[in-house]
Amino acid sequence: MALYTIRRLAAVFPILIIISFLTFFLINLSPFNPAEILLQARGIPVITDDLILQTEEELGLNDPFIVQYFNWLMDCFQLNFGTSYVTGEPVWNEIKPAFINTLKLTVLSSFIIVGLSILLGVICAINEGKFIDKSVRSMSFVLIGMPSYWLASLMIWYFSVELDLLPTSGMSSAESYILPVSIITVSYVGIYFRVIRTSMLSNLNEDYVFYGRASGLPEKKITLHLLRNSLQVSISVFCMGIPTILGGTVVIENIFAWPGLGSLSVDSILKRDFPIIQTYVLLLGASFVVFNTLSDLINMTLNPKLRKGF
Amino acid sequence: MHYKKITQLSLLLLTIFTLAACSSGDDAKAENENENELTYAMTKDIGDMNPHLYTGYMAAQGVVFETLVENTEEGIKPSLAESWDISENGKVYTFTLRDDVKFHDGEPFNAEAVKKNIDAVQENAEVHSWIQLSQKITETKVIDEYTVEINLSEAYYPTLSELSTTRPYTFLSPNDFKDGGTKNGVNGYNGTGPYILTEHKKEEAAVFEANEQYWNGVPDVKKVTSKVLPSGETTFLALKKGEINFLFTDDRGANSIDYESMEALEASGEYQVVRSKPMDTKLIAVNSSNEDSPIRETAVREAIWYAIDRKTISESILNGTEQPAGTLLSKNIPYADVDLKERGYDPEMAMELLDKAGWKLDEGSGVRTKEGNDLNVTFYYDSNAPAQKTQAEFIQDSLKNMGINLEIIGEDSTSIADRRKSGNYELLYTRTWGLAYDPESTISAFTDVSYNLHSTKGMKNSDELYKKIDEVMVTVDKEERQSLYDDILTMVHDEAVFIPITYGGMTVVAPENLENINFKQTQYELPFEEMAYREK
Repeated sequence: MALYTIRRLAAVFPILIIISFLTFFLINLSPFNPAEILLQARGIPVITDDLILQTEEELGLNDPFIVQYFNWLMDCFQLNFGTSYVTGEPVWNEIKPAFINTLKLTVLSSFIIVGLSILLGVICAINEGKFIDKSVRSMSFVLIGMPSYWLASLMIWYFSVELDLLPTSGMSSAESYILPVSIITVSYVGIYFRVIRTSMLSNLNEDYVFYGRASGLPEKKITLHLLRNSLQVSISVFCMGIPTILGGTVVIENIFAWPGLGSLSVDSILKRDFPIIQTYVLLLGASFVVFNTLSDLINMTLNPKLRKGF
Repeated sequence: MHYKKITQLSLLLLTIFTLAACSSGDDAKAENENENELTYAMTKDIGDMNPHLYTGYMAAQGVVFETLVENTEEGIKPSLAESWDISENGKVYTFTLRDDVKFHDGEPFNAEAVKKNIDAVQENAEVHSWIQLSQKITETKVIDEYTVEINLSEAYYPTLSELSTTRPYTFLSPNDFKDGGTKNGVNGYNGTGPYILTEHKKEEAAVFEANEQYWNGVPDVKKVTSKVLPSGETTFLALKKGEINFLFTDDRGANSIDYESMEALEASGEYQVVRSKPMDTKLIAVNSSNEDSPIRETAVREAIWYAIDRKTISESILNGTEQPAGTLLSKNIPYADVDLKERGYDPEMAMELLDKAGWKLDEGSGVRTKEGNDLNVTFYYDSNAPAQKTQAEFIQDSLKNMGINLEIIGEDSTSIADRRKSGNYELLYTRTWGLAYDPESTISAFTDVSYNLHSTKGMKNSDELYKKIDEVMVTVDKEERQSLYDDILTMVHDEAVFIPITYGGMTVVAPENLENINFKQTQYELPFEEMAYREK
């Protein structure tokens, strides 16, 4: 087990290096001169050639590509991701608060999504084909089908303007979380509870359920066993879900004026703030790798069978 | 059995919500009637407020920082400088400063502070090359505590109006300087203006409170909050709820809510919509130096000019918020009241011009040809501005009827700037600099490669044009200046290298009981200090 853990963790590094190289390489493929972009991003009304030369030198753009990459990589190891073209501030100072804001939203939503998905998944599985199962499933269809942008506007109109219960936007109080978290939850629960339901249903036909029932185990206990076995698939799905939400909150952040990673990344892309885009992609890539590894390790703990051979 | 209960409960909740929605129609407005505050929304953060650089939001910088002189409808007026004197040769400007002004941090505003600020700007002159004055200041001298002298390398008539722009010649407390300057950032934002920046939550909100020591009278509106709301839908709902109560056209000339929403707000009786006079011109810049394109021909450019129905654009697309434009600069711009050939909407004239120029329309084909080439033209616009797209589509359709195949492409503003600079375009949606900067900024941009050089270079008398532009900036004689502007504006008008569409301005949505909503000579700022709530 310990050996496996170490191996899995060791494999993370080469993947991160590959991600970092691809990120750097792709951004450098862009046909634009970063010095010019920097000057445009800083709103300088008229950009002269002298100014461009001066900026190129400051940025160290005259080094060969591979040298630039290694310099950048070495800096990254020390958590120095360069400085933003637009503000001139260290990238980390820009990304950190945004990342934390989005993380708050993501973590809170994920917990609710996991809880609600398991609840609905179990209810639907044990009532397969009955009214409750059908109504939950059709309701989820309707909700997934609604674009979150539209649903969000509708909910702000109803709960903030008409009922005057919640703020329309921003993150000034705990109440501010209610609407964005609900919208994120609605768009993901509909997918994830199905995963639980399906895997519970496939487990229902397993021998251990049959024998459990035959030996007179109470139905509640059987459900618990079912759940534990069905969770494996779900854990992988959920662990992939967290980075997906992390990178997928753009629309929600835009409409709720949430100062998070989504708004920052879109803004940076529009202004071509390369250092921020690079770090954003790297961060997101890293979180996919980390959560993937995490889900493997959790499954390993839950299911001894998977540990065989290590 | 208990599922039935759940279903019943949910139905009950649904009914309650629906009932509540029906009944709560007019509760919303009663709330947020905060008498002495204004909260406005904008799509981005106020940014770095450093008044000597360009990333900050001008409307925010404008209430915190001030200039020596102010550009008003009646011309240049005193602001931080009480009076000034221009030497005979036009090279020395001597300003007498007000002696009752203090920076927000208590530091006195005096000649020394003026020198430090102007020196800090000049230290970074390359960045300010758009403002010609930055290339001409040779020295700033302190004469006595409240007298300061600015020396220029040559006479330059727009000096005072360039000193009046929101940036860069504005004044920051020298205590906020970093390493003795401002080009590498500043430690604070203490200006002399009517409002003090008291709180800034990045990407969320900024709070400006009235400066109780303000030399020009303490503002009535005690607190102005700038809130970041990127999405127009939310902005509209926040206005309805009263979380924000003010809105104005942003620095890209875009409004975050559409005209229907504004009308709905006005109709509710809680808001008023106020529009300024024309401040800038939305236009199509034509790349006359593009050798491979049919638009190098004046006739084709003129035909496009005649083919555009500006009245419909103004009334149907822009709902009357902008007026049809017949000239590059509107007549209320200084020196721009020039007699120019009328070119209205006249599709027949457009066809005639094209026929005469040899662009023939064959039966059955929709596109005119000349010497085997089709009349294809490409038009670039800013994809983030919804009104531009609609206009581009409308123009595309109008030109189709003339036998011109117009391809329209929306790109982000950075790409548009790249095209403008490299000359990689045929037609480009753009606008003039605006009231406070014109005519000089728009005209001097004719010679600037990152602005409109490609548009003017293909004119047959371009060398003469550039000579006149050089002259007009340094002439001290007012009449001669007028006659040079007459020539310049006539030349570009006759060659149709800038095809005007509409005159734009600022639109403000404000609480119904707010008074004194005035405008400045610029579409980038608003005088919040003059506004006041009506007594009830």
